[in-house]
Amino acid sequence: MTIPQLRKFDGPLTSELVRRPGDFGLGQVPSALAPDATTTMVCGFCSTGCGLKIHLRDGVAVNLSPETNYPVNLGMACPKGWEALTPLDATDRGTTPLIDGKPARWDEAMATFVTKLRDIQQRHGADSVAVLSTGQIVTEEMCFLGALAKLGLGIRHLDSNTRQCMATSHVAYKQSFGFDAPPFTYADFEQSDVLVFVGANPCIAHPIMWQRVLRNRRNPDILVVDPRKTETAMAATQHFAIAPKSDLTLLYGLANVLISSGWIDREFIARSVSGFAEFAEFVRQFTTDKVCAATGLRADEFWQFAELVGDKTKRVSWWWTMGVNQSHESTRTAQAIIALALITGQIGKPGTGANSITGQCNAMGSRLFAHASGLPCGRDFLKAEDRSQVAGIYSIPVERVPDTNSLAYDGIVEGVKAGRIKALWVIATNSVHSWGTSEDLRRALEGLELLVVQDMYPTTETAQLAHIYLPAAGWGEKEGTFINSERRIGLVKKVRRAPGEALSDFNIFRLLARYCGVDGYFAEWSSPEAVFRIMQRLSRGTPCDISGIDGYEGIDREGGVQWPYSLDGADSLGRCSERRLFADGKFFTSDGRARILFDEPRVVREPTDTAFPLVLLTGRGSSSQWHTGSRTDKSAILSKLHPSECYVEIHPDDSSALGISASEEVEVTSRLGSLRASAVVTSTVRPGSIFIPMHYAELNRLTAPEYDPYSRQPSYKFCAVAVRRVG
Amino acid sequence: MSEAAPRTLIDDLLEEQRSLTAVERFAQKHERHEFPAQEKYYRDLIPLNRPEAGEQYAFAVNLDTCTGCKACVSACHSMNGLDDDEVWRGVGLLLGGGKREPWQQTVTSACHHCEDPACANGCPVLAYEKDEETGIVRHLDDQCIGCQYCVLKCPYDVPKYSEKRGIVRKCDMCHGRLAAGEAPACVQACPNGAIRIEVVKKGGTSDTRMLPGTFESSYTRPTTSYRTSRAIPSDARAADSRELRLEHAHWPLIAMLVFTQAAAGTYAAGLANPSLAFAATILLNLGLAVSVLHLGRPLGAWRFFLGLRKSWMSREILAFSVFAGAGAAFAGAAFMGWEIARMIGIGTTLFGAAAVGCSAMIYVDTRRPWWSAQMTFGKFFGSSAVLGLHAFAIASKSDLALTGAVALHWALAAWETQAHLRALEDTEHPAYRSTLTAKKLLSGVNEVRTVALLLSAAFAGLTSISHTRWPAVIAALFAIVAVVSERYVFFTAASAPKMPGGVTR
Repeated sequence: MTIPQLRKFDGPLTSELVRRPGDFGLGQVPSALAPDATTTMVCGFCSTGCGLKIHLRDGVAVNLSPETNYPVNLGMACPKGWEALTPLDATDRGTTPLIDGKPARWDEAMATFVTKLRDIQQRHGADSVAVLSTGQIVTEEMCFLGALAKLGLGIRHLDSNTRQCMATSHVAYKQSFGFDAPPFTYADFEQSDVLVFVGANPCIAHPIMWQRVLRNRRNPDILVVDPRKTETAMAATQHFAIAPKSDLTLLYGLANVLISSGWIDREFIARSVSGFAEFAEFVRQFTTDKVCAATGLRADEFWQFAELVGDKTKRVSWWWTMGVNQSHESTRTAQAIIALALITGQIGKPGTGANSITGQCNAMGSRLFAHASGLPCGRDFLKAEDRSQVAGIYSIPVERVPDTNSLAYDGIVEGVKAGRIKALWVIATNSVHSWGTSEDLRRALEGLELLVVQDMYPTTETAQLAHIYLPAAGWGEKEGTFINSERRIGLVKKVRRAPGEALSDFNIFRLLARYCGVDGYFAEWSSPEAVFRIMQRLSRGTPCDISGIDGYEGIDREGGVQWPYSLDGADSLGRCSERRLFADGKFFTSDGRARILFDEPRVVREPTDTAFPLVLLTGRGSSSQWHTGSRTDKSAILSKLHPSECYVEIHPDDSSALGISASEEVEVTSRLGSLRASAVVTSTVRPGSIFIPMHYAELNRLTAPEYDPYSRQPSYKFCAVAVRRVG
Repeated sequence: MSEAAPRTLIDDLLEEQRSLTAVERFAQKHERHEFPAQEKYYRDLIPLNRPEAGEQYAFAVNLDTCTGCKACVSACHSMNGLDDDEVWRGVGLLLGGGKREPWQQTVTSACHHCEDPACANGCPVLAYEKDEETGIVRHLDDQCIGCQYCVLKCPYDVPKYSEKRGIVRKCDMCHGRLAAGEAPACVQACPNGAIRIEVVKKGGTSDTRMLPGTFESSYTRPTTSYRTSRAIPSDARAADSRELRLEHAHWPLIAMLVFTQAAAGTYAAGLANPSLAFAATILLNLGLAVSVLHLGRPLGAWRFFLGLRKSWMSREILAFSVFAGAGAAFAGAAFMGWEIARMIGIGTTLFGAAAVGCSAMIYVDTRRPWWSAQMTFGKFFGSSAVLGLHAFAIASKSDLALTGAVALHWALAAWETQAHLRALEDTEHPAYRSTLTAKKLLSGVNEVRTVALLLSAAFAGLTSISHTRWPAVIAALFAIVAVVSERYVFFTAASAPKMPGGVTR
């Protein structure tokens, strides 16, 4: 007989949590999850593009940790990155195709898809079918989808959810620089003396970029322009809490002060900028008084801002994201930032630049290769030469290349609503949640003759409406590349088996090509890496030339590769791991000069009035939520890190006027719809405005349909609303 | 046998989808590293030397660089192999600055590895070990019996109960990592280096509270330090400070308290009517039996005596063991009609009082304002007296006792209500939050209690016109309903102190 121990320091329960040396340079790891090999791949949530070290056992990912030496994240990750594998294990993954909600074989699903598609095209013409794609799949898949849909299937309209996040930066850069070329490298965060964040909250939206800011040893001034006192505004050295939609006036006002005070780089302007004289004349009307009246800033604050960004002894960098991009005049706002960097000569040097921080993990891949708003690598559907180049590279008859532009996302939605578009194929996006006027969209999708949704989950709000659902493998279950904010191409690897009969988007496209009988055109498109080689050919001689990359092994070896990276080294950026553009002051326009483009600021289409007196701002609520939550909601850990129900931040002035106290339930109503939320009373929002995170599906019942005229990006940062107490 | 179908592209693609290629193509070549690769980032975030006598390890958080990314929570989860929904760290939010100086601050926190850990002091079986050398408060998972008293004791809401295991688990400051010269998971993972480990002198801190709204540090002497170069505004409060929520009801504990307190009163009544000793014994043993349901791993409960030096839970178990023994003897002697029964009865009554007192001390010792000594002792002894009088009234058909029971019950309720009204007048009153919770979230339960009290009184009134015992019995049953309702509110409105939370719901 054994005498029972009085105190048990060990035993089965204790051993569950034992850690042991993990080898592979990992330090201690949980014993139950100790790996037998590791490999590094790029994260699949946001555009930061962090390297994640995947812990493998028998070739299968069992855990992960951030990659120590990846030049992006330097050993760190946000909670989404840490939890990246969890959504793959969700119980609601799609495992077979579904036809009208019932499980079907792939053969049946594909045959049905093709039959209906052909029938609708025949009956209603080429304009009756559209594709809504995504910034979340690998570039090879985007490229394949674009080529297959437009050249193979004769589908004229293809746009993607990147329209909602990055279209503005794309257009702004393209018009100003002659190519969609974000000029920076993340090292610029560390090498800047003055960092200006406009409509950006990296502490929450891009925590790893903020990490890079905090590694800056130059004691920088950090300026944040945001109507809200965000986490980033708190951490900044100065916060400019401007009135919503006064950003363009502020930026023009800054330009006026810089020019009239001579705080500009005349030599750089003379050599590398066009449109300066007209701009200087135009901004003279943006006097200090005008700026202060519009923004609510004091004159001394405004001048201090101008002095800081006009200081010629300092490296000034400008950073923007959705606060700028999701506006009714977003392209000109982005271009005002570009203009400020140009006239001060703050571009092409370490710690400078007019830098757009991207949203989705592969928005940048979409911008270059999706065949959405243009042909790959900045080419134009409308130019015969571009069409024949692409046709030649693909060895596809040039007549198959459309010579018209696609409708943008809002045009496709309008087409669906008006009944002109009869069939819609949605890939890895959840429009019914993410698109403004979401209730209208839901009704319109219900009226389609054919809605095909290809997604990891048949449970998204959009997939639930599908006639045909195609189960897709996710990040980590397939190979390919992403392009991050700083133009770095990173590798995605296959470290998990997809559940059931789910197939990678790439393989679904192969299958569709076969069922449509156009697989002959795509014989070379046999694997993601084969398509990567086609992409390299497409890029040859363009500003985004990646012909010098030594295949996937090369990307893996280098820790990601920033474009350009040409075969002959003609890009002159050298082979270092941190590369920025425009060091020579030469841009991609025909005359080599960057263009300053501007317009008179406009009021929003639907301003506030007595019935809807408050301005609704939307944005990211926490670092643990990704957009519509299709994936992040599947992680119990990520779900613990944010409120499960919708809430609204409201200023104490407004809450007391409305008789609302903290944590009370309120109703928020816009001209389009209403929602219920609990009140968070805080002065971090300005009086007169409220904030609701975008992750709650009900939010887009409220948001108004207004679009930037150049980029067609929706404005999610201004919606007139009323708030009232419930009960 | 039919011929195999020809292979299709679908077959090929499905097969390809199932083959994993990362290892053969991309597995990293490693020398067996001497040092973990991340060491270069956390080298300066952990101390060079181990604590000496009078020192211990402690978390130090730089609030200026804690910007709310919450990577620390995820990393702790992944690097420690926790359950799917288990976290040992949390990130909350403080808001303040009035109307014109908006201010917010995210706050990361885990176990504070207190100098005088309340969890350890409350544990009846010594399932916590404050490490002699490092000061780390470790939980001994195999020692734990799942009584969850530490959950009530910790003023920072740190230990978390695992239903599936029947034990609690908590942060161990990655003690094994520290021993090997590695940083804890959270320290390794903070992109901004906001969390570090320091060696601190014991008895060093003089702060009254770690942060606005956190519990007085004098209770457990938490070792975490929060530093900021920015002034924390005087009105700073947790984002969830106005969010009311119900705590766990702990039904086995409600039943245990009601039965054992009824038993204590009934034994006392047994001094006047010894036939009640038998009923009291049944009540007591029912109460003790049902209390076992509260334990996640009752088989280890025999170790309860280990905690006698500090734990009121240990003392309660001992007191009830003695009480139960005496009570059984009392019942036996009373049944036999022995003279000594009265002496044993007096002893039983005293042991019963001691046991009920220990029960009360369990809650008082958590320092939750809702469980103040006055209220807890008042309620526990009050219900003993009320239920004892009811028992006597039934057994001895005493209208006087019944009137006394009802009057006392109403008096208790009135006393409580008056205390609540006082607490509600003052938002700074320690029991304000709990009282508001009881008022706003538990109004239904309070109504049940009022109705039960009314019916108890009504049936008591019927005894004067009835010759049977039934009205008295029904009056007693409604009294029990009222006590159970009161006890439900006692648990669920007992707002647990904790670190600042975020926007919840």
